[in-house]
Amino acid sequence: MKTVKTRHPAWQLGFVIPCLLAVMFLVDVGLRLMSIDPLTFRAWEALLRDRPPGAAFQPGRRYVNARSYGDLAALGNFPELRQYRPERFTTDALGFRNAPEILNQQVGAILAGDSFVVGSGVSDDETLSSRLSTLMGCVIYNAGSDAGRVVPDEILALARRLTMGHRLVIRLYTEGAAVPARPTRGEMLAAGLVARTPAGVRALAGRLRGLLTVSPLQSLSGHAWKAVANDRILPNRYAANVVRATLANGDTMLFQAAQVNNFSRRRDLSLDYWKWLRDDLTQARFDLVAILVPSKYRVYRPFLVNQSPIGQPAADDLGRLERALRAMGVPVLNLTPFLSAEAARHLQRGEYLYWLDDNHWNARGTALAAAAIQAQWPLPEDACSTSHSPAARTP
Amino acid sequence: MLFNSLQFLYAFLPITYLVFWRLTGKMPRYVWLAISGYVFYSFWNYKFCALMLFSTAVSYLAGRALLQWQDPRRRRLCVIVPVTMDLALLGFFKYGNFAVTNVNTVVSWVGGASTLPILNIVLPVGISFYTFHTITYIIDSYRGVITPTRNFFKFAAYVSLFSQLVAGPIVRFRQIDQDFENIDRADRTADLHTGWSFFVIGFLEKVLIADTIAAVIDPALVKYAELSTVGAWLCVLGFAYQVYFDFAGYSDMAVGLGHMFGFRLPQNFNSPYKATDIADLWRRWHISLSSFFRDYVYFSLGGSRVSRLLTARNLMITMMLVGLWHGANWLYIVFGAYQGLLLILHRMVRGKWEGLPQWTRRIATFGLWLVGLAIFRASGFGMAFALLDKMFTWQAGASFVGAGVLIVMLVIAAVIAHWAPNTFEMRHRWSPSWVASFAVLFGICLFVLYGSRPAPYIYFQF
Repeated sequence: MKTVKTRHPAWQLGFVIPCLLAVMFLVDVGLRLMSIDPLTFRAWEALLRDRPPGAAFQPGRRYVNARSYGDLAALGNFPELRQYRPERFTTDALGFRNAPEILNQQVGAILAGDSFVVGSGVSDDETLSSRLSTLMGCVIYNAGSDAGRVVPDEILALARRLTMGHRLVIRLYTEGAAVPARPTRGEMLAAGLVARTPAGVRALAGRLRGLLTVSPLQSLSGHAWKAVANDRILPNRYAANVVRATLANGDTMLFQAAQVNNFSRRRDLSLDYWKWLRDDLTQARFDLVAILVPSKYRVYRPFLVNQSPIGQPAADDLGRLERALRAMGVPVLNLTPFLSAEAARHLQRGEYLYWLDDNHWNARGTALAAAAIQAQWPLPEDACSTSHSPAARTP
Repeated sequence: MLFNSLQFLYAFLPITYLVFWRLTGKMPRYVWLAISGYVFYSFWNYKFCALMLFSTAVSYLAGRALLQWQDPRRRRLCVIVPVTMDLALLGFFKYGNFAVTNVNTVVSWVGGASTLPILNIVLPVGISFYTFHTITYIIDSYRGVITPTRNFFKFAAYVSLFSQLVAGPIVRFRQIDQDFENIDRADRTADLHTGWSFFVIGFLEKVLIADTIAAVIDPALVKYAELSTVGAWLCVLGFAYQVYFDFAGYSDMAVGLGHMFGFRLPQNFNSPYKATDIADLWRRWHISLSSFFRDYVYFSLGGSRVSRLLTARNLMITMMLVGLWHGANWLYIVFGAYQGLLLILHRMVRGKWEGLPQWTRRIATFGLWLVGLAIFRASGFGMAFALLDKMFTWQAGASFVGAGVLIVMLVIAAVIAHWAPNTFEMRHRWSPSWVASFAVLFGICLFVLYGSRPAPYIYFQF
């Protein structure tokens, strides 16, 4: 009688593939326990992963990268357009981008806003708050965050943690950023709950969220994909995220596609939010000043060649907001004319105020902006030594 | 949730599988399958679960009524009401805006000013498939082909069976009724290896072949005006293999998943690119759909048991409906009409056609199919005309990125599609070296999936 030879189950797909899935899963989990710093091209991703709920970044971290490059070069997968630069990014115990010792120093003002406040592609000493601190001779606290959320309660809670010499909040708003809004009741409750949670628990929650949501294996695979989808082997499927434009001097500058596509779209001014912010801060005897920052596309569009007509006049949202804030009595500085003029002047020398490969302003841009702010609102000499000073001057 | 997504592979499938085999008895397994189907569906849009439940409940009640009533008038009512309801749902969600747009256009042509509003309708994923499941159930119950089930959960599990829920195959109740009946006696290990074999092959067809081809041709077809004649042929050829491996891959994965849970789903693609004439191709392509239209539309119209002219009419109507099933777009209707025309012509010249060498018939059939796919793939009539113009009149044009990769993929795809056995012709008993090769390729695909969003299946939109 013939015997039927059966294959060992270990060599059948019904065993091998589930095992392979299990191994890949374990590798994924294992890699999540390790640092992702070597896989990141800038501080942002590395310091956001394990941030506790309510914090801007992971507290007490120092990130150093000698070859950091811009978000747009990464987003559009244009390795040939990267501008490599060193980046040093330090966070204090509260999770904001400041030197750790700043919490023991007298603070002249809190600078709040989005990534333009935090600083992208610039080192610690090149951020707007650092530049202002140097120019004003007084510590300006960098309270910028990824989300750009500026809520009175949180600002006041932060102020209580700091030694404020001058009760001033500088609110920076960037063109094209999410329209600020008052948090909903649920969001307020959640924020209150987070604020009351012990720091250790929040740190643990942040770590857990990081473990669950950020996969180094995903990042590795993304790198591999980008290496292949390079417009030589396979079409660059990421290119549509970014608009590649040429300046009159022949240099290539990258822009976020959404910024270009929405350039002429009118946006809501959200004056309710600004009134709420002003009133709550005023009630707590804080002064509020607003800085309006133009998008990179608004500043550099006049210098681009082969730009298709936009059909209708570009919506001047910042101009409208500036007028509205002034009418509300909020001191405001719209940096659009200043940066546009400076961009034209520097372009002749082949210099830029924004990175060619990034959405944000560079060290030169922050320095110029700081100078403009200082010229507009110099802090009183005793800002760092007295408990309260008069309100900022309205221009 | 897609079969080729990490959440499906790491969470949904293991949980569903382990719980299913942990349960004993029919009822718990029916309930679990129904729940898992609804959970699977809710990943797209949980709101539409109610729609599926409604369709399921109506068809179930119709089946119960058909069991009970023998009066022909009442029985007819039991078919007409639920089928009309199913078709009305399908018509509203899938063809509502198409109808509105066409009415507005026609009225403006005759000088009127109709401004019927365009409705804000979201097409529920899989509605074309699960409504057909319920329609086949009702009609087969009416015709006495099947005995309607008394068990609601069994029927709900059939309609929402996740492996066939959103993109078919359109499995008829009678095809898996026996498996449902034996669900409590199913052997977990019996079909496990076969199931995984189907699944892995389908996975590779989708991720390695279809998605790689799509990565090249999709950007190239966006700039179709710049394509040369060679480029246009490469793109259309690429699409022919992409659509085949995409949907055949999905069907193989569905069959594999069915095996893992004790269901033997029917074959949906039987090497269609080996077909020697267009009728043969439609007997091999998306079999569950073409047989649905054959059994419930073509035969109901009289099929071929009528005069030549009426047969031609029946073919044309059926194929235009097949085209329309693919989407609310005139291009799909034209695609269907083209297929209908080919079928009619084939009937007329069948004798002479059969006299040609087999390889000639295969090549000619595939060539005619490619012309149809140029229409099918186009985003509008302008693109369809441009593609056909480029394919049949010599034109120079720009090369496109990835042409080299595309050619390599086309060779691999052609060998598999035209010469290799299909998954139902395989024994699924692999030597260790084959198992190792599959494992390596599967591992590569998994790694690829980590870094890219899983590409949806072409047939999800239909």
